[in-house]
Amino acid sequence: MSKPTVGIFGLTGCAGDQLVILDCEDQLLDVLAAVDLRDFVMASSDNDGTCDLDLALVEGAVVTKKDELALRRIRARARTLVALGTCAVWGGIAAASGAAALRELVKVDLNITGCPIEKEQFLSALCHLLNGNPPVAPDYPVCTECKMRENNCLFLEKGEICCGPLTAAGCDARCPQIGVPCVGCRGPASDANLASARAVFSENGVSLEAVSRKLSTFVRAGARP
Amino acid sequence: MTRTITVDHLARVEGHGGITVQLDGDEITLVRFDIFEGSRLIETLVRGRRFEDVAGIVSRICSICSASHALTSLRATENAFGIQVSPQTELLRELMHCGEYIESHALHLFLLATPDYLNYPSAIAMGADRPELLKLGLRLKKLGNSIQETIGGRAIHPVNAVPGGFAALPSVDQWIALRRDLQQGVADVETALETLSAVPPLTEFCRADMAFAAMRDGQIVVRSNGTEETIAPADYRSLTNEREVPFSNAKHSLYRGRPFTVGALARVTLNPAGLSDNGVRAMQQLGLSVPSDNPFDTFKAQAVELASSVECASVAVQRVLADEALKQEPRVTIRPRSGVGTAVTEAPRGLLVHSYTYDADGCITSADMITPTAMNAASIESHFRSIVMAGAGDGTDVLTKKLEMLARAYDPCISCSVHLVQTRNAV
Repeated sequence: MSKPTVGIFGLTGCAGDQLVILDCEDQLLDVLAAVDLRDFVMASSDNDGTCDLDLALVEGAVVTKKDELALRRIRARARTLVALGTCAVWGGIAAASGAAALRELVKVDLNITGCPIEKEQFLSALCHLLNGNPPVAPDYPVCTECKMRENNCLFLEKGEICCGPLTAAGCDARCPQIGVPCVGCRGPASDANLASARAVFSENGVSLEAVSRKLSTFVRAGARP
Repeated sequence: MTRTITVDHLARVEGHGGITVQLDGDEITLVRFDIFEGSRLIETLVRGRRFEDVAGIVSRICSICSASHALTSLRATENAFGIQVSPQTELLRELMHCGEYIESHALHLFLLATPDYLNYPSAIAMGADRPELLKLGLRLKKLGNSIQETIGGRAIHPVNAVPGGFAALPSVDQWIALRRDLQQGVADVETALETLSAVPPLTEFCRADMAFAAMRDGQIVVRSNGTEETIAPADYRSLTNEREVPFSNAKHSLYRGRPFTVGALARVTLNPAGLSDNGVRAMQQLGLSVPSDNPFDTFKAQAVELASSVECASVAVQRVLADEALKQEPRVTIRPRSGVGTAVTEAPRGLLVHSYTYDADGCITSADMITPTAMNAASIESHFRSIVMAGAGDGTDVLTKKLEMLARAYDPCISCSVHLVQTRNAV
């Protein structure tokens, strides 16, 4: 059986999600052996820029016409298109200045969020995709992961504005774990309990709007999972 | 007869850049290092943001240099507020910086540049023939990432470095793991230097007198036409003199009307005292003599700094584990005040400037960030010009390959270079 053809692309962004792929130092050779990598300009100068792709991994947001054109071309070539990272999934850091997420322009088959994406989550999703299984990702918020790690609550106990109750999990509460409040770099959780978050924030003198403002660093205001 | 050479998307560099050269007979009518990366208006995005949010936003300028952006940002903020951090914080920041150098240089040396010299289109293709070489590069790269993760809390876009210090300290187990990794790293560097010194002689097609700029003892030093000048960090504009150019989303920098080079080659030229003993030995082993007139010597200079950074990190970790066990320090109290704070540091690719103006509430009113690739852009173009002048008789394929290799030799970080300006490319 021939190996699945794969392309890895970057639109406007910091290239951090492509770098996470290259940062899978222990798994990279196995990953490369499992796929037929045809198009990856960041790492190769021998690319097939037109072939059909079983899987296209696209990071970055759509900022320029060139980005949009590139994205539409990739979509036309790809059986499965995966948005990699918060810029591709939510517009990311430049959302406030007009950057668009991929799904605002084309059909996206899978969103893997994170700024940058988490290595384990990426590798797990890739394995699922290559084996024809639907990838799984948590729908609950960072707050749940933080509780599972038995951390003291930064918001309730220290009064710090933490976006953990609203932000998509998958980072294992990376920031609150070391005492740094969540800034929402992974974008909104689909199963966040908004009503409860609003109540808890307002009981403690913080409006949900103040938290949303913080969240809007990475997500365009009003965007929903 | 007119001839145009175009590279639409430069491969094996970070971000979206291209090359355009036009010739009319032997006359060069156009030389451009095109930067297509969209503007993300980062300098505008931080306006109005409070000081504690700034480093986390600006690190997103670039993934490879995210630690440098975060650390430079923290210093600029601390300078604005008159905060002095503890020696322990300085040590940890230095170590995090070493981790970034190791990762960035290993990435460039083994995954992006070496394929040029060994005639492969990619490290992946190179790895099929020489798996030990790719694995060595990946191991060194991983070492850099492990250091950054341990100290910074994440390899890309660090979360643990905060204004005034660090949120949490690594555990003893983490330090012991780092010491073990670094022992392997010191051995790997030896193998790497042997391997890299056997890489075929670097291209000679682009020799030219270069101006260099680098940090030395907290000051910017610039060497141009054989003379040196020292510039205080706060006066960085007299070095960079940024101007917008019509074809690029990045501004260009010229010192006294002349392009200058920043990065590994500038550092080993202007501040050799910054190298560890192993770094100095690596310089001899690789036959790198400075000042160099060959931009491809950046490859050697990066290998030298890789050796130096691994040794410095190793010494620092041993210090931590020996007698100076880290202690949980009380958080520095930060009292915002209005004013300007500037920091100039050495990112892996060269000088990095962050300069912020704060209001009395600790919110940014204006920000200026100048990255190494923005500073190098004019220099890259002047080298393009010399390559084309010397190689006007070359076929288009040969000339294109030379231009691409030159651009890659500079290890450009194109996301980094994109500035505030909106131009026709960004429409």
